[in-house]
Amino acid sequence: MTKPHAALLTVAALTLAGLTACGHHSDPAAVEVSRGSCGVGWKSPHGGDQTVQVHNVGPVTMEVELVDPATHGVYAEIESLAPGTTRPFHLVFARGSYAFTCLPEDSDAETGPVVTVKDGPATGAAPIVPVSEVDLGPAVTAYRANVSAGLATLAADVTALRTALSSGDRARAQRAWLVAQMAYSRLGAAYDTFGDSADAIDGLPGSGSFAGLRRIERGLWHGESLPLLSAVAKALASDVASLRTDFARARTDPNDLPLRAHEILENTLQFELTGAADQGAGDGLAIMSANLDGTRMVLDALAPELRPRYTRWPVVNDEVTALRKLVAAQHRGDRWTPVGALSRADHERLDGALGQLLEDLAPIAAIGEVRRTQ
Amino acid sequence: MNSSRRGFLRGLGAGAVGIASGAAVTAALERPGHAASAPSPVFHGLHQAGVVTPAQPHATHVALDVLATDRAGLEDLFRTITERARFLTAGGVPPEIGIAGPPADSGVLGPLVPADNLTVTLGVGASLFDGRFGLAAHRPPALTAMPAFPDDHLDPARTHGDLMLQLCADNRDTVVHALRDIARHTRGGMQIRWRADGFIAPPRPSGTPRNLLGFKDGTSNLHVDDRAEMDRFVWLPASSWEAGGTYMVVRVIRMLVEFWDRVGIVEQERMFGRRRDSGAPLDGDHETDVPKFAEDPVGEAIPLTSHIRRANPRTPASEPSRILRRPYNYDSGVDEVGDLDMGLVFVCFQQDPDKQFAEIQRRLAGEPLVDYIQPVGGGYFLVLRGVRDATDYFGSGLLSLT
Ligand code: HEM
Repeated sequence: MTKPHAALLTVAALTLAGLTACGHHSDPAAVEVSRGSCGVGWKSPHGGDQTVQVHNVGPVTMEVELVDPATHGVYAEIESLAPGTTRPFHLVFARGSYAFTCLPEDSDAETGPVVTVKDGPATGAAPIVPVSEVDLGPAVTAYRANVSAGLATLAADVTALRTALSSGDRARAQRAWLVAQMAYSRLGAAYDTFGDSADAIDGLPGSGSFAGLRRIERGLWHGESLPLLSAVAKALASDVASLRTDFARARTDPNDLPLRAHEILENTLQFELTGAADQGAGDGLAIMSANLDGTRMVLDALAPELRPRYTRWPVVNDEVTALRKLVAAQHRGDRWTPVGALSRADHERLDGALGQLLEDLAPIAAIGEVRRTQ
Repeated sequence: MNSSRRGFLRGLGAGAVGIASGAAVTAALERPGHAASAPSPVFHGLHQAGVVTPAQPHATHVALDVLATDRAGLEDLFRTITERARFLTAGGVPPEIGIAGPPADSGVLGPLVPADNLTVTLGVGASLFDGRFGLAAHRPPALTAMPAFPDDHLDPARTHGDLMLQLCADNRDTVVHALRDIARHTRGGMQIRWRADGFIAPPRPSGTPRNLLGFKDGTSNLHVDDRAEMDRFVWLPASSWEAGGTYMVVRVIRMLVEFWDRVGIVEQERMFGRRRDSGAPLDGDHETDVPKFAEDPVGEAIPLTSHIRRANPRTPASEPSRILRRPYNYDSGVDEVGDLDMGLVFVCFQQDPDKQFAEIQRRLAGEPLVDYIQPVGGGYFLVLRGVRDATDYFGSGLLSLT
């Protein structure tokens, strides 16, 4: 075989080889960390796109952060660096001061020597001041107060639904069902928020025994007898009552809140905007609007801590508002457009606006994750 | 390697080279220091890549609708697509964002994103020139919505679109990675309307790759390395804002392969006018033999209704309708009666879709092949001129129109 592009090929191969070695410029000597000495051997750091290998030479697993020593803002973290292991930090170092903070299991945090980057670009990775459990205390309190009030509303709405079902008026029962369903959806019960109660109250067919709100929806829109549905509603009322008791007793993990910021609407996208959860009412957009209220509630609780840490916070707010408008436009009189009846353009607008909002909500989970500061 | 490289130099066997260079890239990544493939097509230039680029083995054709509601939003969208395309086609290490969010990259291609011969080609549809962006007065007359032709079975859900994004690369994961990356960065700006994934087979056993009816497809085509031919038939001339662009026609054509496989070989070959085994015209011995229609006026050897005779009668009158074909096979699931949904993502480039593609399509109307194929979707798109340099962006010419 002739070598038509020998020179080119060599250049390409070398470039690839250099990159495969990990990062653009990597420090050959790993920085060492252990209890009592955090960041030994990190000399003359250069600015720009850098990879720094960190090696745990001590006997305990530790969390290692690269921080701005002035503010203790975190540039990057290694969640758990086991003894004997090496893992990289890869980021763009701007001019400024850097230090490692080591948080060994079961002992206090310590910050190592400060190093200064003099030759870097003006802007690089941005440090974020970590959120502690204490920081999120007020958010948890606000959130719990809201959910407790929402559960009381739900209980009242379920009572009204039972009254409507016993009245024998199907249309009235359908309206009462939507009120109750929206009250529940407003609580933002994504994923494990309410544990087993969630399945009993809002479960979909196929997951265990089918009961609760969606079961009643199916019956109401498929001509099932109202007395039969009254029995389902009676069980629902008791499930809601036990959820209230359980919630009052349970502790809310502060980490749940930043996660809920996007998880509630991840569910909306998966189950409501696709029509997958619809049991006949065609009210997916009503539920979506309630889910947006639930998301707004979580965002409001988080705002004091997250707004200063997340540059796109104002964008998120605008996007929630814009999406609410798009959803509200599908509510005419007491009718919501079923998702299956949306025009292609309207569907795409809702899908795109929700998708964009989700992209912008996702960082809240990363930034708001509770980190050790001591 | 030797033979496929020579095949490539002759303008044949693009698929073979694609596969070979794909393997070379992989090898280079695994064993640094060994030969890598020739560099990927350059992103900046007068023309977009992905038109005269020898067809890479994997592709996706994605039609999108723009959600931006004004010019500024449209410009934002075009700039973002440009930025992503610039990074993806060059490859590199995605930035690490620390604790500021989830990882910036899907990781599908590992920590070092290889260029992998990726091309990102962007086209705009006639619907972009409606009232939304103040472009109505600037729609080039040649850019219309794709008409429905006599034997079409168009599904509105797989037809038209404000934009067409063609992604081609040596490997499937690179195409998927690019699509996910671009979609993630543009969620609020555009939504996928439909998409068709395609592949090109390696030569079996030699010459031009085969389509899913078993016939070599691409034997007679314009020559991408013939600059004059490209300027004459493909690239738009310097006189307008579209200069350097070209028109792209995409037709998603289902093949009724079960029905086809029940057809005798003679009938199959007479429908195309070529041999199935060698790809030779029915009046010749070798794939590269040129059919001599003039010597066979009644269609003794090559029927007058055959696909190649209708598509290109090789007369002075048919000459101006020649096109650059760049099709892909698609293979995507099963229909209601258990038949396979597969076929051809027919893609061609030309200066004027009506005078070239549609002219051929009109000649093909009623050809015997129509019983075995069903065009179900597609669209007409104007491939914008290339992105000139690091400061330019897709559509800068279009958006400078007032
Ligand atoms: C599923 C649909 C189609 C199949 C299976 C198909 C298959 C083929 C085959 C096997 C050949 C001969 C090999 C070659 O020279 O490349 C060919 C040639 C050609 N086809 Fe198609 N084709 C299809 C659709 C179309 C369409 C929609 C057009 C344009 C309107 C078209 C235009 C042409 C042209 C221009 C040639 C070259 C003729 C020549 O220069 O000799 N084909 N096609």
